[in-house]
Amino acid sequence: MNTNRNEKFNATTERNEGSCTVYLSGELDLSVAPDFRLVMEPLIGDSDLDLIINMRDLKYIDSTGIGILLSILKARHGMNARFVVDEVPAQIQKLFDMTGIAKFFAPNENSQ
Amino acid sequence: MNAEVQRVVITLPAQADYVDIVRLNLYGIASKMGFSYEDIEDMKVAVSEACNNSVLYAYNQQDGMVEVVFEVNRDLLSITVSDEGESFERVTPNSNRVTLHDKELHDVEIGGLGFYLMEALMDDVSIENQTGRGTKVVMSKRLMRSEEKV
Repeated sequence: MNTNRNEKFNATTERNEGSCTVYLSGELDLSVAPDFRLVMEPLIGDSDLDLIINMRDLKYIDSTGIGILLSILKARHGMNARFVVDEVPAQIQKLFDMTGIAKFFAPNENSQ
Repeated sequence: MNAEVQRVVITLPAQADYVDIVRLNLYGIASKMGFSYEDIEDMKVAVSEACNNSVLYAYNQQDGMVEVVFEVNRDLLSITVSDEGESFERVTPNSNRVTLHDKELHDVEIGGLGFYLMEALMDDVSIENQTGRGTKVVMSKRLMRSEEKV
């Protein structure tokens, strides 16, 4: 279904020196999980870059999305590479806290 | 004493693309009843997780339908998500309801979080699994009114 809803999922990648930020917007659910995976896959393996996901405009995430974040965490942890979530909306942070995934994210350094 | 219950029933293809339609309907019904923004967000997650499971596990890649029934009571919204699939991710008490709180990252397995979220976000959840006759998830949330009658 390609209806034009404003909650439609989108991911935009921005590369900076030393880091890569992916801005998410809309609803990250089962239907767009493959799209999200596709965006993230080429970025996960570069241990020289800090990988940051900005969730400011993310409206919704389900357990599929949380599962993908978890697999990225595992991969980055294995490479000793940073993976940060930034500007997490309260409702989504609540799910991170409830499921317990919150403790695995690296603390965000706002100084950058 | 007149327990008046109104029912809204929607039937959708068991496909990932339709789960957001369930969320939109839920939003409409729950906001009309007067649920808070936070409660509606909680219910959105819980109901979507139930639908996800029907989409992923009920029909083994074949076409099937998911039925969602909203039962509007005066102070309670009850939502039933059912499919007629053969198999469902087997749900047995305490086996799938895992969180990551007591785990190290390398011990973490992906999956099972959906059920945990349903139970954590709703007031009441029950799951009926009948071999060959599909799965039914019934969940409910009480409406907390800001002005309580004394």
